[in-house]
Amino acid sequence: MNDRFEIPASLKRTSMALILIGIITLVAGAITLLGSADIHDKTRFWVILLQNSVYFLLITVVSIFIQAAAALAQGSWIVAYRRVPEAIGANVWVFSLIAVVVMFLIVFTFNINGHNPVYPWVNPAGDKILEGKSSFLNPKMFVGFTLVTVILWSFFGRKFRSLSLAQENAPKNSTKIYWQFFRLAGVFLLVYALTQMSTTPWFWTMSTQPHWYSTMFSWYTFASAFVSGMSVILLWVVYLKNQGNLELVTKEHMHDLGKFMFAFSIFWTYLWFDQYMLIWYSNQPEETVYFKLRQQGSYSVLFYANIVINFVMPILILMTRPSKRNYFTVTFMAMIIIFGHWVDFYQAIIPGPLGSHWHLGWYEMGTFALFVGILIFTVSRTLASASLVPKNNILLKESIVHLS
Amino acid sequence: MHIKYESFVREPLVNGDKTYHQVTEDIIGPIEKKPGRMWYIGFFFSVALLCFGIFSVTWAVYWGLGTWGVNRTIGWGWDITNFVWWVGIGHAGTLISAILLLFRQGWRTGVNRAAEAMTIFAVMCAGQFPIFHMGRVWDGFFVLPYPNTRGPLWPNFNSPLLWDVFAISTYFTVSLLFWYSGLIPDFATIRDRAKTKFRKLAYGVASFGWTGSVKNWQRHEALALVLAGLSTPLVLSVHTIVSFDFATSVIPGWHTTIFPPYFVAGAIFSGFAMVNTLLVISRKILHLEDYITIGHLEAMNKVIVLTGSIVGVAYLTELFIAWYSGAYGEQQAFKWRIMGPYWWSYWAMMTCNVVSPQLFWVKKLRRNIPFTFIMSIVVNIGMWFERFVIIVTSLYRDWIPGSWAYYSPTWPEVGFYLGTFGLFFTCYFLFAKYFPIVAVAEIKFVLKTSGDNYKRGMETIEAQSEEDFIHEVETHHAHA
Repeated sequence: MNDRFEIPASLKRTSMALILIGIITLVAGAITLLGSADIHDKTRFWVILLQNSVYFLLITVVSIFIQAAAALAQGSWIVAYRRVPEAIGANVWVFSLIAVVVMFLIVFTFNINGHNPVYPWVNPAGDKILEGKSSFLNPKMFVGFTLVTVILWSFFGRKFRSLSLAQENAPKNSTKIYWQFFRLAGVFLLVYALTQMSTTPWFWTMSTQPHWYSTMFSWYTFASAFVSGMSVILLWVVYLKNQGNLELVTKEHMHDLGKFMFAFSIFWTYLWFDQYMLIWYSNQPEETVYFKLRQQGSYSVLFYANIVINFVMPILILMTRPSKRNYFTVTFMAMIIIFGHWVDFYQAIIPGPLGSHWHLGWYEMGTFALFVGILIFTVSRTLASASLVPKNNILLKESIVHLS
Repeated sequence: MHIKYESFVREPLVNGDKTYHQVTEDIIGPIEKKPGRMWYIGFFFSVALLCFGIFSVTWAVYWGLGTWGVNRTIGWGWDITNFVWWVGIGHAGTLISAILLLFRQGWRTGVNRAAEAMTIFAVMCAGQFPIFHMGRVWDGFFVLPYPNTRGPLWPNFNSPLLWDVFAISTYFTVSLLFWYSGLIPDFATIRDRAKTKFRKLAYGVASFGWTGSVKNWQRHEALALVLAGLSTPLVLSVHTIVSFDFATSVIPGWHTTIFPPYFVAGAIFSGFAMVNTLLVISRKILHLEDYITIGHLEAMNKVIVLTGSIVGVAYLTELFIAWYSGAYGEQQAFKWRIMGPYWWSYWAMMTCNVVSPQLFWVKKLRRNIPFTFIMSIVVNIGMWFERFVIIVTSLYRDWIPGSWAYYSPTWPEVGFYLGTFGLFFTCYFLFAKYFPIVAVAEIKFVLKTSGDNYKRGMETIEAQSEEDFIHEVETHHAHA
């Protein structure tokens, strides 16, 4: 069995090239955008970095979440390729570090005449609504919540992988680590509920438009991140299979991942519809302001593209059984979904700070490339550092005979 | 044939040395015998409650809804609280039969039949409340949209109350079909064993001439998947639309975007609790402990702690955003909920739904039957209070302090609620007597992978190295 992954030179080159493009973009952005006299240029520099760092952090954390969920449900379907979510989860600390640096720089250094265009709540004086929220929305709380969140996520990401690797050398059929993992998975789920499912999106993204509020927002963000995170896992699995690894992964396993992409695209749409419909129906100005900015005016193209890419395409293309068992279709759809939810994060985060002065240009694409490059670079190194087959895993044999 | 293998780390779904025949004997046997004394006592008590319910409703219809405690400020009271409560309970069955089928959860086979039956009875109970809440119930057919003799008068299609009519009737229909189609092979089994002519005829008619041929089974399984696909969105849509009844309004405490998914989570929470209530008793009385094992109850309890925690996150989110919004009305609504004259209902809800289910993180408690039973009741008390809190404590402090009011139910309202318990348990007792409460055919389907005696035979596979196992799977496939 070919259970070791050696990073092909082409993959290394690709990731290095993407990172290089990203760094050049960043430097160029710092000179032309941050150095510009225009407030909107400066804001664009920061807010795009914010959108990408939050998006990539949240979709990589999904890999930790799915390991925890599968452990608690005692799912064996994931075991054949569990090294992939493990490797992504083990690199959550990298994306955490980037996100923390970006966010703290925005909070503490971005200031235009006493105003912070990305996080207006940093200077609440004179704004009655923001003053009312200042016991929650303030730099100290932001730093505290953020640090606790990313430290916990990074810890669990690395812990899950090390536990899974330790099982390889455990006595045969010993369930000690299995149950230890099970218990930790429960703890992680609680952590996840109190961070990603509630407080984290309030601080990191909802507060870019701090007058507006929606109780659904964090769950909505979760759904968006989850379906993209599963797509990232799928892309890695397909890639590794093409390299001749992961021989135990069959169409049955691909079918599962396809079902996740299909079902949770619809779940995302369900939450999208609930939030939109309830705000539209009750038509209260303090709530409709959010959709008015997005649906009417310069963002409308993104507003409708969001639905087409993230709902219409998945439901039509992934509906049938053969399409979920076809490598080309699922790979194509995974890329579409990752891009689509990147757009979803874009239209959630950008309109507040930038208003109608938005661009989808070299800077946005270059920054995206930077993060993709980092993801490929770090995850491939982790994948190469251990066996791709979780030998001695209690559920491995079940995963071998798994039927979707 | 596929290799029948399941990891030793899973506990068996069927305990004891069971053969296919023994499974039939154990589950069909009680139907062929006369019911015990406990059954008669329970059944007649239920019918008595039902009669009292009918009396209470007749009273309210005859004298008018003035006999109820609802008033101008608090126009929805126990009636709608009970409606939402019952409809919520009616979510577990379809979740178990549809979503757990799609997720390939083998343990659903032990509990799905009873859960589906419970769903249908609960939805029947739920339906009574909006109907009799209409007051002039003889005009109830006005909710049906058909070209009519009332001129241009149509139901208001913009109203979530009308969407409820569609959502619930669709849900009821599909759940009934799902339940019944699963019963067909089991009815045929009873027919084939029948000793009396009448029984043979009745179950023969009920089983639609099922012969058990390969074609029969193929179509049966295809139908189950199609119905599962149809029911999965229905599990979400029903309680989503019930939540719209509140959330589309502009009433503080009702209008909040998280309502739809949080109502669905709460519905599953209460439904699973009700399934546990029924199964803990049924397995004991009908001696089905080998089929509805402690492992099954534990799995149900895990879902309860999961959904209870989701609901908990939603409660705290609601509370936090009410403050965060800076909207005066929102902040006041939640202040009055927590600290107003109805404070006890809010804290009962919090305790029963969020705090006490957390005890299920402890494995010993998840597997403790008396504790499971008590918790299943506690959860449903909590879920009743949740609806009471949402409905009554959002209404009783109106925009105008002059119309602030208090509300207590009168005896016809309480009688109506008790009457639905009568209806529910009357149906359940009849079901437990005449229908197999565990799906015989589906148990047989998992028996050879998850049955205790078969799992003991898998020790050789467990001892194999992974390479040998892979080799065996490959040769096995080559021969198949």
